[in-house]
Amino acid sequence: MKTLVTFILALILSFFGSTVQADSSLKANFITGDPGITSINSMTFGPENILFIGDSKSAQIVAIDVSAHPKVDNSEVKIDLLDKLIADMLGTKIDQVQITDMAVNPINDNIYLSVHHSSGIPVLLRVENNTLKQVTLDNISHSKATISDPINKDAKDKWDRELRKWAVADMKYSSGKILVSGLSNKEFASTFRSIDFPFTKKQDYGSLEIYHAAHGKYETHAPIKTFIPTKIKGNSHILAGYTCTPLVVFAMDKIKPGEHNKGRTVAELGSGNSPIDIVEIENGGKRYLLIANSNRPLMKMEFDDLEAYEGSLTTPVVKKGAAAGVAYVNLPYVNVRQLDKFQGNGFLIIKREANGNLALKKGNSWWLEK
Amino acid sequence: MLSISGMLAQTSPEFSVNRNYLSIKRDFDESADLRVFKGQITEAEVSSATILLGKVVKEKTSIRFIPLVPFGWNQEYTVAYNNIMDHFVINFPDSYEYLKIEAVYPSGRWVPTNILKWYIKFSRPINETNLYDHIQFTRSPGDTITKAILPLENALVNDHGTLLTLWIEPGRQKRDLIPNKQLGPVFENGKFYGLAILKDLKDNNGVPMQQDFTHIFQTVPPDRKKLDLNSWEVLPPENDRDDLVILFHESMDYGSTMNGLTIINAEKKEITGDWQLIDNESISLFTPKNPWSKGNYKVLLDATIEDLAGNNLNKLFDSKVNDTIPSSRYSSSYFALGFSIE
Repeated sequence: MKTLVTFILALILSFFGSTVQADSSLKANFITGDPGITSINSMTFGPENILFIGDSKSAQIVAIDVSAHPKVDNSEVKIDLLDKLIADMLGTKIDQVQITDMAVNPINDNIYLSVHHSSGIPVLLRVENNTLKQVTLDNISHSKATISDPINKDAKDKWDRELRKWAVADMKYSSGKILVSGLSNKEFASTFRSIDFPFTKKQDYGSLEIYHAAHGKYETHAPIKTFIPTKIKGNSHILAGYTCTPLVVFAMDKIKPGEHNKGRTVAELGSGNSPIDIVEIENGGKRYLLIANSNRPLMKMEFDDLEAYEGSLTTPVVKKGAAAGVAYVNLPYVNVRQLDKFQGNGFLIIKREANGNLALKKGNSWWLEK
Repeated sequence: MLSISGMLAQTSPEFSVNRNYLSIKRDFDESADLRVFKGQITEAEVSSATILLGKVVKEKTSIRFIPLVPFGWNQEYTVAYNNIMDHFVINFPDSYEYLKIEAVYPSGRWVPTNILKWYIKFSRPINETNLYDHIQFTRSPGDTITKAILPLENALVNDHGTLLTLWIEPGRQKRDLIPNKQLGPVFENGKFYGLAILKDLKDNNGVPMQQDFTHIFQTVPPDRKKLDLNSWEVLPPENDRDDLVILFHESMDYGSTMNGLTIINAEKKEITGDWQLIDNESISLFTPKNPWSKGNYKVLLDATIEDLAGNNLNKLFDSKVNDTIPSSRYSSSYFALGFSIE
């Protein structure tokens, strides 16, 4: 069997076309009030204590300013029975709560968790002294942008619009842009967009569509599950993970509006698995990728290997569940449900342990040494 | 000491509680804290117990605690206020409209093996947390097909929380993708399957369904034909109150079809009304809000309308790869069928 995984990107608008604004002006448009957040599907930090919240239900991206939260000492962070603690704080049962994301503020290592309760109410929590505090969202300095449907941007907003849902899968900030991947219920097409930040009234929506093909014969649209903007050999790239689990790089500088560009598949991380989070960590002058998975242990990949791999995976993955492409090692962390960069060169995880305990804890940076 | 044990959301002069708030006659010691805890907490445990998130509002004669999420039924809570400490439970109501499944789409008995999407319509908003644990495709009762549904961290549910979209694992439905090669397609031709929604699935109050639900269907050969506009028929209304009828001659994808049809008049103004899909989603009916006027009309069809296998008016779901797909695929986002009323 010959398996070729090809990604073709169709970019409507340039992703890196606008001037990067001076940091001091990032919050110039912020207003204090209730941004009307009705769901928190994804979170990511930008500069200056700005936390971006992906709200699928209200079809919006909200940037909130969390500068008011003082740095807390999370150097010995560890919370056991995290789901029980959240259920107790909400007066509800464990199966009524779901942790939807975790984000660490790179400026002060403050840790934020987003939670959905069965009633549909979203909750933002902050770690303090190994317990959780609520971050209220009804009177907060913020700015927001509506997520529109880029493929049907001319379509009328119809009475039965409710049928059309778009779920934010992942979101990252990069050089004055917020990049968002997601999946719609309408068409099996990955919508990957770039929204200028600070948000303006006139927004440029970049639409990136990806075709995932096998055997060079059939094509499909592949939704990006998780991604990071990064540099490969000094050039801007998107490194994206897809369900069942090709890892693909897209060179940003080659993407031209209206043209189709192929991504390069650099690894196959084993089928029956889905990536959950990807982070890039620099330690001791070396760059590493950590990939959390739904059905595989935490994986470590070295950037040296990634940069040295210049080809694209075109050889078959014959063995069931086997991996191919850039080498990686499995770290002894299984059932990692959330992952983020922590304390500069370390990582923070939420993992389900063998005894059922859901633990928030630091990963051991020893694994990120040569 | 105020005794409120086992109260059923009742009101006393000093205390009242319902799912949305708890109110106690105010103690004018301004320093008094009102705290609520999950479970029965003893006085000794109060200092270390987890306090419920919520707002405390001081009113003229009472103090009110508004929990961040509504109090649960049959859940014990402890309230501590000044020197008062007691427990309460809000009993589950005697009459409750339990969560039910109103419809499943496709609703017909025959479904192509390469079906891509299912829709489940619920009677009330569902609990989206851990949703996929309670939905399965089965070959026979108890024989579950693994990795059949695309698990999404954020389920695709409409704004009312009542319509869920399920994607059949696209990697398995597409020929030659790794999951398809290794695990095979989810469904085989000519067999019976069940879409099972387990009674553990809960509504947004945390109340489970009363019974399991199973929708049985039988598979027919895969559909690998692009939608053909020319085979569709528009039956214009015969009088000004009649429905407009569109015959697709095959079962259509519920979501994209309900969402993808618009009628405009000669002035390009949209005609408002209600759409329905009937006869196993093979016929679309449009009931206008106002009587039809004489003139020419067009049915605009979104190019993303799909059949059950994800084939649309532009392309097949798993078509041959074309590395230089023309960008014009974005420009033909609508098709049109004309009709006139005389």
